[in-house]
Amino acid sequence: MEGFTRASEVTTQMQAEFAIEVSNLTKKYGDLVAVDHINFQVRKSEIFGFLGPNGAGKTTTIRMLTGISIPTEGTAAIMGYDIRRQPIEAKEQMGIVPDISNVYNELSAWDNLIFTGKLYVMPKGFRDSRAEELLKMFGLYERRGEKVQGFSRGMKRRICITMALMNRSSVLFLDEPTSGLDVQSVLIIRDLIRKLNQEGLTIFVTTHNIEEASQICDRVAIINHGKIAAIDTPERLKRTVESLQSIEVAFEVPPLDALKGLGELPYVGEVVKEGDKFRLFTDDPSSVLASVWNYAQSNELKLITVNTLGPSLEDVFVKLTGIRPATEGEGGRMGRGRGQSQGQGMGQRRGS
Amino acid sequence: MKVHSSRLGREARVAWAIAVKDIRTYYTRPPSIMFGILFPFSLFLSFSIGRTAPLSVQIPVLIAQTLFFASSSIGPVVIPSERANQTFDRFLTSPVSLLSILLGKTLAGVIFGIGISVIPILIGVAFFGSQIANVGALVACMALSSLGFSAMGIMFASLPGQQPGQVMMPLNFVRIPLLFISGVYTPVRELPSWGQMGSMLSPLTHTIELARYALGGETFFGPLVNITILAVYTALFLFMGIRFHIMNQRKE
Repeated sequence: MEGFTRASEVTTQMQAEFAIEVSNLTKKYGDLVAVDHINFQVRKSEIFGFLGPNGAGKTTTIRMLTGISIPTEGTAAIMGYDIRRQPIEAKEQMGIVPDISNVYNELSAWDNLIFTGKLYVMPKGFRDSRAEELLKMFGLYERRGEKVQGFSRGMKRRICITMALMNRSSVLFLDEPTSGLDVQSVLIIRDLIRKLNQEGLTIFVTTHNIEEASQICDRVAIINHGKIAAIDTPERLKRTVESLQSIEVAFEVPPLDALKGLGELPYVGEVVKEGDKFRLFTDDPSSVLASVWNYAQSNELKLITVNTLGPSLEDVFVKLTGIRPATEGEGGRMGRGRGQSQGQGMGQRRGS
Repeated sequence: MKVHSSRLGREARVAWAIAVKDIRTYYTRPPSIMFGILFPFSLFLSFSIGRTAPLSVQIPVLIAQTLFFASSSIGPVVIPSERANQTFDRFLTSPVSLLSILLGKTLAGVIFGIGISVIPILIGVAFFGSQIANVGALVACMALSSLGFSAMGIMFASLPGQQPGQVMMPLNFVRIPLLFISGVYTPVRELPSWGQMGSMLSPLTHTIELARYALGGETFFGPLVNITILAVYTALFLFMGIRFHIMNQRKE
């Protein structure tokens, strides 16, 4: 929007220290507190991940930040503009890709972008050139005249992202951007997120995909039951659970009772079956390595893989949210726990 | 002042863009055709067939009914559909006020209502000898009524629901009873005094009266009262529509 941004707006944007500042943001639905007095800041040109299980408050937060929902308490500022007191100015700074691709199916790809440009009152020449540039960038220019209803899910997602980028916003909100997409679309979108960020765009992304967050985010916040459980860089968060080291082993022919046998080895806190491998969580990897070797020898098993693994962002997530996989107690997990209460029966573990 | 006028111009342009998009997208949807076109014409035919009054006398009723049903049907088709595929959220996240969003939606209903109600006017003039005696009254009738009824539809569209039927049902619960107290079937002057009071409170009464007056007939309450009441209802429906949609945002 460089071409038609007022001088006072430029000053406000430059003065703002953070791209997003959230202060005591709260959303209540009757007695249910969906988002509970959360506070955080997102720096300019940062990729900020917002992680949490279903119902943790991720989408509610993004809906409040983007003006769809009015907060019950608290406030937030986008590039220095308060979302309650200066909603128009705040919305001029943002582009939004919601969790569902909310494109106009009855309109063509081109008309979807042009209509978005009209909502931002972009001059016609700028609107047309920007639409052309984005459709070419996303490989959709050849199909610009077709109605979007005939597009695949991945293509609709790309159209949705182009619509969010029409106004050359400073902050891009992405709600589960790669959820339910094929591998090619996921890779395209991840690559695009990195590129946009390199161009200076601040990106706020909510995701279930912890590995994705670990790969692309400068910092992540983990939200659970409407409260922020932790905010830091992925690597620093991993260091907070250094005790969650593990050894990954695979046998050529695993015995039927491997889960039980490995779980009974000394210094093993917990064993998780991940595909054809077993992951043994421990505070003392070297002792466990020796035990595993002895276990293989005594049971005449051939070890085909042995890896020592540090804690993953998923381990941090599990520790902070208390989420356990659905397979627990059904043969997929065995052991003496990982030193914390883990109450809910949902979620998934990453294949390491 | 310059800032204010540029802001107003900006909001007006967005409202117009929204209206044009709605026209392109929703005018040919089955619920728009069913409740906005077929419904008033069917009602009119079932009411007029077999009656002794000449059709030229009944044309104002048809004009009023088409204005009433067509204008008030677009909002209840557009907004629940947009809620279902979350495209309504696009407006809420755009740098534009809620008033402009709803005015854009209202404008789509206004154009639909006026477009459909021109048909009975043309039919009346071309085939049944109707004459436009007062152009100003006809313009006021069509402009105010379409605006007021479209705003009424937008107000009802604030009811939670993601299917047009979920809004049309309660809307018809109001629209159909209004037909009975608005001088459609029985002239206002023939109603008992309590009926005339009720009739005065119905916006549809004033649309019919203005349409009659415009085509050379009489008005029971007088054209100024008709125009004033329609204007008051238009403002009220717009205000209530905005309030209800803000309440929805608080519940979101």
